[in-house]
Amino acid sequence: MTSVQESVAGEPSATAATLDLKEIQATVLRPRPAPYFGTHVLLRVDTAEGGREFLRRLTPHIASAANWWNAAHTWLAVGISYRGLEALGLAPESLQSFPEAFRVGMAARAKQLGDVGVNDPAGWEMPYVTGQVHIAVQAISDSEEKHRRALAVAREQYDSFSGVTVLAMQDFGAQPGDLNSLGYKDGIDQPPIEGSGVDPLPGQGRPIKAGEFILGYPGESGSPLPMPAPDILGRNGTFVGFRKYQSRVAAFNRFLRDNGSTEQEREFLAAKLVGRWRSGAPLTLAPETDNPALGADPNRNNDFNYANDPHGRQVPFGAHIRRMNPRDTTLTRLTDVNIHRLIRRGATYGRPYDPAALAEEYDDVPHGAIFLFISAKAMATIEFLQQEWIDDGNFVGVGDERDPIIGRQEDGATFTIPKEPVRRRIHGIQTFNVMRGGEYFFLPSISALKWLANLK
Amino acid sequence: MSTQTATANRPKQDLTPDEKLEKLKEIYADAPELGKAALKNGLAMLMQELSATGRAQTAGRIGLRQGKVSELCVFLPFVEGGARRLRGLLQLLQGNFRAADAVGTVHDMRFVFVENDTKLLFATAYDGDFDPYIEDFAAKIPNAMDLWLCNFEGYPGMRNPKAAADWIASHQIAAEAWYVNSPNLTAAETRRLEKVGKAVDGLLDQIG
Repeated sequence: MTSVQESVAGEPSATAATLDLKEIQATVLRPRPAPYFGTHVLLRVDTAEGGREFLRRLTPHIASAANWWNAAHTWLAVGISYRGLEALGLAPESLQSFPEAFRVGMAARAKQLGDVGVNDPAGWEMPYVTGQVHIAVQAISDSEEKHRRALAVAREQYDSFSGVTVLAMQDFGAQPGDLNSLGYKDGIDQPPIEGSGVDPLPGQGRPIKAGEFILGYPGESGSPLPMPAPDILGRNGTFVGFRKYQSRVAAFNRFLRDNGSTEQEREFLAAKLVGRWRSGAPLTLAPETDNPALGADPNRNNDFNYANDPHGRQVPFGAHIRRMNPRDTTLTRLTDVNIHRLIRRGATYGRPYDPAALAEEYDDVPHGAIFLFISAKAMATIEFLQQEWIDDGNFVGVGDERDPIIGRQEDGATFTIPKEPVRRRIHGIQTFNVMRGGEYFFLPSISALKWLANLK
Repeated sequence: MSTQTATANRPKQDLTPDEKLEKLKEIYADAPELGKAALKNGLAMLMQELSATGRAQTAGRIGLRQGKVSELCVFLPFVEGGARRLRGLLQLLQGNFRAADAVGTVHDMRFVFVENDTKLLFATAYDGDFDPYIEDFAAKIPNAMDLWLCNFEGYPGMRNPKAAADWIASHQIAAEAWYVNSPNLTAAETRRLEKVGKAVDGLLDQIG
């Protein structure tokens, strides 16, 4: 089967890429393959020399984004946390040049992220709360066999010596059909990046300045975002927020049953929560019934705005996709939507979605989503999204309502579906995705990896 | 600095209502007779207030919040000619602030010229925090911000949003107390309810 590449890549642009693609890690620009098989390896650096030796060995295997639109669908990526940079022996003035939220780490920013209650870091899995996750390696491929080989390449670099210790390995991948843990096709809407060498897909909007996503280029304001020093370390790097969620699939299914008496009603409600049918078909283009062919077509499944839906009668204001990218929705607060976008590299782990699962015990076996949010200011953007667009509703005029998919719901939470003659308000919405761990990582450029590996 | 000292001396919040009253009597021991009499005669309402759960929260880096509404109060030093320019601008605007309308979270603003026109006391009530939106201001209303803030010492300009936010915070004075009548109503929600109210009246007019 030739690559499906249905997720996000557009056509190579007539205008050549202006980004230094051979320096940027592949995972920043390459969409998730389809199907996909992957593993995250989380490591601790035991000695600075050992950690640097590991990076020296690993770096030649880290894929760059050169020709990313038609490159192989197997690659390794590497991210380093603040504690990791410390452990590698980075100089204090360089460490201090990183943004504060990155320096203290994701768990320490729980208040700003709204990671409280069920999402409180006190309840996170090992090793995320230990402060020992120094390096994360991602191996991903479109086939199980190639994934295993990629993972073996990574393993060869750390198995043979004692400088680094594997803390955890997390497999991911979703078969069949690449549906996420709640049964939806996802990852459809990505920000188009200026100068990346690919034209935006229909509906992606105008390309956003590359500096919003990759350090060292002008951002939307015209100037580059603050960059870690020295230049060789910061340039062409970016940040990733890694957030692991455990899905409460049976609770989600029970919620749909409680609020829909037929399969049709339940699926309609499921579509209203997200703004897309499970197939990926957007409600703006398929308002009454699903259209799987539309959902599968990357040239059509994102080609819409909300000009004809000003009252939210197709896509509710509180629906997941309208929150995460309000497009042309009139917001109650002065907002430049283009400076709050993230490259999203979500992945599913655990069993495939089972629409018949209803028992409490079903959710005892972990399954869920690992979100990678990539941006040159990922920490600030994730905090903004968590505070304003996920765990609040005032920005779109839905009061205290929260994102029905990834929000942390309080008791008595509701979800409003605008319709004629009167809106429907759904009660009993719960936290369907619970935080299990997370960290911020720096994704250095290829040159920066070499530079780090050769620190004295 | 004086505000921080005042905050540090604040009585502990876990006192019982009676303990609070005793404390208040101590504080008022040297008050004028008028004040002592007021304390005695106004005891009923005062005890209700001292018995209620505290409503004050902190907002952003500095400042207070009740429910969704935050206060921001800055004391800004004018540059040479700044007071004259700002006064002229404000008089010509005649109370029209399109940028504040656009921001959407601003409940009110007051511009008070003090200390012989060397400083401005600017006070506003707004929803949530301003820090998360500073870059949006920079992207959407840089000119409206620069036009009035250029009149103050050390203002770095909206093209440098982080520095502008730091500059505002550095001149901020936290209020010692903050009262909001409807702490759960954002400016947007108020406008929405206004519309809903009119629509309901229209509906009732049709029926009746």
